[in-house]
Amino acid sequence: MIQLKTMLNCIDNSGAAIVECALVVGRKRHASIGDRFVAIVQKSRGASDAGMGSASAANKVKRGDIRHAIVVRTRKQVQRPDGSVVKFDDNACVLISKSGDPIGSRVNGVVGAELRRKKWSKILSMAPAHA
Amino acid sequence: MATETTPSATETAAAASSIPPPISTLAARKPTKFHVIPSRNPVKPIRTAFAVYAPPPSARAVHPEPLVSYHAQQIRRLDRSGARTNLFSKKNPDAAKPGDVLQVTTNRGEPFAGVCLSIKRAGVDTAILLRNHLTKVGVEMWYKIYSPSVLGIEIIWRRPKRARRARLYYMRKPRHDMGNVEHLVEAWRRSRNVFSSNKGRGAQGKGKGGKGGKGSK
Repeated sequence: MIQLKTMLNCIDNSGAAIVECALVVGRKRHASIGDRFVAIVQKSRGASDAGMGSASAANKVKRGDIRHAIVVRTRKQVQRPDGSVVKFDDNACVLISKSGDPIGSRVNGVVGAELRRKKWSKILSMAPAHA
Repeated sequence: MATETTPSATETAAAASSIPPPISTLAARKPTKFHVIPSRNPVKPIRTAFAVYAPPPSARAVHPEPLVSYHAQQIRRLDRSGARTNLFSKKNPDAAKPGDVLQVTTNRGEPFAGVCLSIKRAGVDTAILLRNHLTKVGVEMWYKIYSPSVLGIEIIWRRPKRARRARLYYMRKPRHDMGNVEHLVEAWRRSRNVFSSNKGRGAQGKGKGGKGGKGSK
């Protein structure tokens, strides 16, 4: 249930660590896995965990940037058509450009398989695992 | 209900027996009485033109517990061998219990293993809640045990002592969290491989494999 002011972890290597939801795009209600929203970068990743040398150069976004993002994990349980339900321990997202391409080049962490239904296979293929 | 066909067919057959017969047979029903108004003259009661029919047979009498029988029928249809029912039966001492590590194989994607936090017993809607850590993020999955998309449920690891609660939601807290159960799955897979190589290539059935794994533990 991602809505205005929700803080999410950003799990790609775009340089953002924590983003805030400013608007859910195309939905009247909260966002779930696979939904697009407008994100404000609240905290950018430090030089320590991103890479060694060109850490600041690798950060494609910085604090205060406004980007679009896709929800990939939610604390709120999501039901599948076959009756199974998936629930994660955190809310997480991946930043994308206006045209829908991921800003980062890799995704660190499990993502929900609902992305396939919502036509975000590009993110799904970048993720190490999906549940 | 002797022949188990599609659910709609059996349902209509069951419904046909309970639903009162149509109008055409209503006329055929024998004792057609007419409403009679009692009058002063007992010899000549006033007979009206309103026919009084016997009430249709009660559906409740035919099916005293429709929901129970419906659930039983659906379970019979979805779990022909009764193995799934037995795996989560309260009567079975070897049944899977909260706290055990289970692995669910679905018809797509990788099998999901996790510690069972709760078993929701609700007839054909009976479901299990599994919790695991994938890439250091906690993931919980509910699976309906009778779902056709669930191909197999196996017991990976048994809790040494019985959990004293039926719902182990406290295992979400960091202090009690089991973390990733991959090492248990790996150990189980290795033990099963040893077992199957000793036995031969014959016993590779779904239920057989689960039973064998249980027996070797």
